[in-house]
Amino acid sequence: MMESVKRILRISIPLILICIVSGATLTVSSDLTKERIKEVEQRKVNESLSIIFPGASFNKTGDYYTAMMNGEEIGYAFIAQGKGYSSTIKTMVGMYQNGTINRIYVISQLETPGLGTRIAEPDFTNQFSGKRIEDIRLRQDGGLIDSITGATISSRAITEIVRTRAEVVVNETR
Amino acid sequence: MKLDELTKGLFKYNPIFYLVLGLCPLLAVSTRVDNALGMSLGVLFVLVGSNVIISLLRQWIPPEVRIPCFIVVIASFVTIVDLFMHGYAPELHERLGIYVPLIVVNCIIFGRAEAFASKKSVSHSLLDGIGMGIGFMLGIVVIASVREVLSTGAMTIFGYTIIPGLTQSPATVMLLPPGAFLTIAIIMALINYKNVRRERR
Repeated sequence: MMESVKRILRISIPLILICIVSGATLTVSSDLTKERIKEVEQRKVNESLSIIFPGASFNKTGDYYTAMMNGEEIGYAFIAQGKGYSSTIKTMVGMYQNGTINRIYVISQLETPGLGTRIAEPDFTNQFSGKRIEDIRLRQDGGLIDSITGATISSRAITEIVRTRAEVVVNETR
Repeated sequence: MKLDELTKGLFKYNPIFYLVLGLCPLLAVSTRVDNALGMSLGVLFVLVGSNVIISLLRQWIPPEVRIPCFIVVIASFVTIVDLFMHGYAPELHERLGIYVPLIVVNCIIFGRAEAFASKKSVSHSLLDGIGMGIGFMLGIVVIASVREVLSTGAMTIFGYTIIPGLTQSPATVMLLPPGAFLTIAIIMALINYKNVRRERR
């Protein structure tokens, strides 16, 4: 009995110590880089805003942005994010006040290279422009978005993410 | 004599062409030279760090749990690389994407921990890590240069144009995984051909 307890301790204590030291090191690294990563991400958000509504200025209201051009509201921009096939897909969506999508722009995703990553390409994202919210579904689900061959799950994920979030924002802004 | 530990990784036991390790990240990121450089700098850092730490702890790690111990050490270094790259080289981080965290399972790093660092002294392990890391860099950069030039007709490294556009219709296949296999195979064949000829003499 004593023998086996000793054996377990001899094996597990070094591993536990290594894990503790590793955890501490990672906490420090995460603290050191947190601010910087936040800035980087904020810059990406700002860049994507100006792609969605070029030349507009933005006011943050709650969790969406109101796009203003020459003192007039021209639409809303908001981030839609959710689970894709193998990563979190984060998208900037621009929407006019009448609820049609202006444009979408994928901020970050790590889907399957060569297949799922194509959801970020203009060939796919341009399909969203000018569509009404209820049509933001894959064609096989009764909507107007063509999915990418070999990447149906990623295509459906981004489509659902955008529509769900757009529905929420439409209700908030009404 | 000690310098052997450094130079063996460069040519004689090059991790890519001789040991044939770490091919998965190689296939994925050797499409552009700057991706390859960024990736191999990350690998170099992790490899040197894990080799040194594992060598330091080698008498202290129980053999029964050595693999979990190695993985924790390697994964910590990879996470550090991932965090700092995200903060300080965001564009590179975005392009390398999932392949930065996947350095954890790069067989070169684990292979050196298991086969070398867990048995040899710290200074030998340090030199081994540097040599193998630079050897990986050499291999991946050579392959990426071939692929980038053939698949785009040009070469741009961190915004500097090294080779301007040579052709309007480049070979897209070189951008895809088969392009990487073809490049590796041809380079390996050349190396083997040279070795065989040298032996015959």
